[in-house]
Amino acid sequence: MLKLYFLLYYEFLKIGAFAIGGGYAALPFLYYIQKQHQWFSIEELTNMIAVSNITPGPIGINMATYTGFTTAGILGSICATTAIMTIPFLIVIIIIKLFDKFKNLKEINDIFIGLRPAACALLTSIGLTLLYQTIKIENTIDYKALILFLILIIPFSFIKKNPLLIILAGALGGIIINSF
Amino acid sequence: MKKISLWEIFKIFFIIGLQLLGGGYVILPLLQKYIVEERNWMSEEELIDYFAVSQCIPGIIAGNISIFAGYKARKILGAISAITGLITPAFIAILILANILTTAVENQFVQNAFWGIRISVIILVLITIKDMWKKSVNTKFTYILYFVILSAFLFLEISPSIIIISAAIIALCHSKIIGGKNA
Repeated sequence: MLKLYFLLYYEFLKIGAFAIGGGYAALPFLYYIQKQHQWFSIEELTNMIAVSNITPGPIGINMATYTGFTTAGILGSICATTAIMTIPFLIVIIIIKLFDKFKNLKEINDIFIGLRPAACALLTSIGLTLLYQTIKIENTIDYKALILFLILIIPFSFIKKNPLLIILAGALGGIIINSF
Repeated sequence: MKKISLWEIFKIFFIIGLQLLGGGYVILPLLQKYIVEERNWMSEEELIDYFAVSQCIPGIIAGNISIFAGYKARKILGAISAITGLITPAFIAILILANILTTAVENQFVQNAFWGIRISVIILVLITIKDMWKKSVNTKFTYILYFVILSAFLFLEISPSIIIISAAIIALCHSKIIGGKNA
């Protein structure tokens, strides 16, 4: 049993250390774990991707919790979830300490002047790609999606930002539009 | 400044974690609202900086930015409180749902609601871009950089970490050559 906890910790520690770029970067590792250990089936993994969209939290963490729980109970899920966060946690702490030490250096400020537009461009490309994938389905326009998008974006561009309200409005809109 | 309590950090990140539906990028508008605007634990610029850096290091983006934000509020203990708070709702949700997951996913109402939430996420991302743009794209150099990088992301399949690192190098060279005239 102790060996199983150790294995869980080790496999999810690796995901945490090597999956760069968030969310779906963890997928290849999860397929590898599936082949190696058979802790879950391919079908369960596919379900999990869907489930991660309906539960709060990133897929890596959801998958760690789920795998840990199904293979070794609550303790297993704590083990796997802690493992996936261990290495990123240490790296972030080291980086932030370096930041604090060097933040008055001119070079660091110069770098961030370039990093901010890069971060903004990255988010823009994510937004545009998501929009394109949602509105356009196989050469036709998904009018339901387009209508909901326009209905939501117009008021929310003017009022003060409230993420929860936008999420709830989208959920409600999705249910209403799809019942026609 | 009054010391921020660890419980307060945990609580705020628990609330953020609850609302983290539809993918990691929703964390940005949530942090903007709860941490930057309402509590001032970090500045808008710092949030953008950490978002950029989070792209280049391993781990889950939402998790990494939360560790940054928690650390800003109360050093290491703050970082631990933040990440614990963030993942607790996900953890509980999976434990509760573990047995009925498949049924929940196949429910038509749930599917329709999440189809709608996908559109909400796009809107949240677009609104966040507007705020980020104001803080980051304001000189000729940053305009050019923004559009070059945007086209690189859209048309070339290069990993974000490589693009972010290139941007850092370009910015450094630019300031060395121009001598920071635009800065």
